[in-house]
Amino acid sequence: MTWKTKSTAAPDSTTILRGLVSNKRVALGSQVYNRILETLYDEAAALDERRIDDWIAMIAQDIIYQAPIRLTRTGPNRDRDVMRTMFHFDEDYGSLLMRTGRLQKSAWAEDPPSRCRRFITNVRIAECETPGEYEVVSYLYLERSRGDSPENENTTAERRDVWREVDGGYKLASREIIVDQSVLGMSNFAVFL
Amino acid sequence: MCMTRINYKKMHYRENAQMLQKSKLVLRDGTSLDDLVMRESNEVSLRVMTDEELYHLEMEKIFAKTWLLLGHESEIPEPGDFIVRDMAEDNVIVARSQDGEVNVSLNVCPHRGMRVCLGEAGNKRIHQCIYHGWAFRPNGDFIGAPVEREKMHGNDVDKKTLGLKKAKVHLYGGLIFATWNVDGPSFDEYLGDIKYYMDQLFCRTDNGLELLGPPQRFTLPCNWKVPGEQSGSDGFHTLTLHRSLMEGGVMGGTAESIYDQAPGMYGVDVSCKQGHSLRCLEAEKTFKMFADVPFEGKSTRERLELLTPPGITKEMIPELFRNLSEDQVNQLATIPPQVGGLFPNILIAFIFAPRTDGGSSGALALHTYVPKGPGKVEFVNYIFAEKDAPEQMKRDMLQNSVQQTGTSGTIEQDDADVWPVIMKNARGAVSKGITLKYQALHGHERPEGWVGEGLLYPGFTKDDTQWNWWLAYYDLMDAV
Ligand code: FES
Ligand SMILES: [Fe+2]
Repeated sequence: MTWKTKSTAAPDSTTILRGLVSNKRVALGSQVYNRILETLYDEAAALDERRIDDWIAMIAQDIIYQAPIRLTRTGPNRDRDVMRTMFHFDEDYGSLLMRTGRLQKSAWAEDPPSRCRRFITNVRIAECETPGEYEVVSYLYLERSRGDSPENENTTAERRDVWREVDGGYKLASREIIVDQSVLGMSNFAVFL
Repeated sequence: MCMTRINYKKMHYRENAQMLQKSKLVLRDGTSLDDLVMRESNEVSLRVMTDEELYHLEMEKIFAKTWLLLGHESEIPEPGDFIVRDMAEDNVIVARSQDGEVNVSLNVCPHRGMRVCLGEAGNKRIHQCIYHGWAFRPNGDFIGAPVEREKMHGNDVDKKTLGLKKAKVHLYGGLIFATWNVDGPSFDEYLGDIKYYMDQLFCRTDNGLELLGPPQRFTLPCNWKVPGEQSGSDGFHTLTLHRSLMEGGVMGGTAESIYDQAPGMYGVDVSCKQGHSLRCLEAEKTFKMFADVPFEGKSTRERLELLTPPGITKEMIPELFRNLSEDQVNQLATIPPQVGGLFPNILIAFIFAPRTDGGSSGALALHTYVPKGPGKVEFVNYIFAEKDAPEQMKRDMLQNSVQQTGTSGTIEQDDADVWPVIMKNARGAVSKGITLKYQALHGHERPEGWVGEGLLYPGFTKDDTQWNWWLAYYDLMDAV
């Protein structure tokens, strides 16, 4: 991946929120669209129900899983507010396995576990250059209940995924989670987005 | 640096309790500072975490007085570059002016109180308030108000008096510190004896540190002192709260032998009366992967070759000798400072951070715990690498820090889970009378052959450094 240290002050072309890049759209209601949508719902259910092994099984071994930070800007650079030099999540397959392994042992941040609902909407899909790979942009709304607190923590984000067709199903090959807050209201990201 | 046969003179920091003067600070309900920070019994009332009146006094007596960390100069390399940060609840503009200086000024328009700079970062020659248009230079100086001929800045008011309020700035290893206490202690006086050790982390290479990207920021529903007192080098919590480090095989010991082997608990804690502290740990006694490396009888340079300090490459070793004294390099090679804090709200983690791929490029992170009301704190996580480190190493170190510290860090997500619960507890009428206890004390003791100054606590990590944090708190709160 291309990654370079940059000053906080200077924005550049990488700091724009992109959404869908490919223009080879997969039509809403088409078979591929429906099956990928179903996969997103299955993934959300696996995470909400804490079936972590099922989730790992949905992930490709070359996955890049990142959540860049947001930085408020004004004036001509007002839309360059995604800083891809710093992340809330910066994971690969090995580190995701480490995280999920930890959840089986003493991960107090998720023991007792949070009760989560992941709402996935606004799904847009397009074909990538590599055959069998699809760019999938979705909105995520996460409600998270901790312990006996009646106040949920929540967060909203856009997810820019690549899903790859493997053995008649789809595996997550990359995910960029663009959270909307520059200062997170959630006290940690001990859950996956 | 032998720690088994010690020849020392025990000396408690301010050991004669009967000589303690009573504090003049008394809250409206008659509670005195001495009822909250109990210097005779080494306890602190849980009430300090929730009390509104105390919080407002802290803002004036601590956060408007002492030196605070705001970022790193690598964030604003060009003239006009700025970042917006917080000195507690006072929002400030940190900007580089035309002359290359770093300036810190209050982000509050002196006209009618609007925020002058609404973004978090950027580059501007002129900061113009969007309300009535008063304009300011990056150094805070007032330029003028629109419709100059009408003198909308005031009939007989000297423009020189209308600049943004300026803080005093000090750069330390590129870190930007500022204080409102313009006539107060210098930065070196603020650091005190801990400087010798801090220099080993922040002033050791030719080109210094750089911030790898803007800091992570998130909020926690707790008082700033809940994470604050932990930053006074609470080593002990690692064994239990962070036991996943042992289960995951990163630190020495196994899940079954955590308390027997107590990895990472033995070393030398250093501290000073300003409330700062650092835990110095021998890598081979802390991390599993270094356990079998033959360090015995090796010279400083040989040790550095075998086990370079976190963030340093073999190629950078000559830089260490250029920038530090021989004694400092020797310490860095044998028992480097790794975690600790600067009073009041900075946590330091310059750790080895072994990776799943076998590497140990390290993780260099600083946090500030910025007060946002009595029951709210913003956790700001700054992640660094040495500027001279290769690009791939920087990439690895960024990943190490993100994976272990801050928002999603597998170490610190557990801390973030504990602190709000302590805060909830502090509200109960009975619970708030419970005390935080700092009674497992070692007492100052100089290990044989130890070179640096300061208050020294060799052996198992105890409560001394955190108690010094509370004494520093007491001193500032007590000051008139
Ligand atoms: S408040 Fe800033 S110009 Fe009036
Ligand atoms: Fe911790």
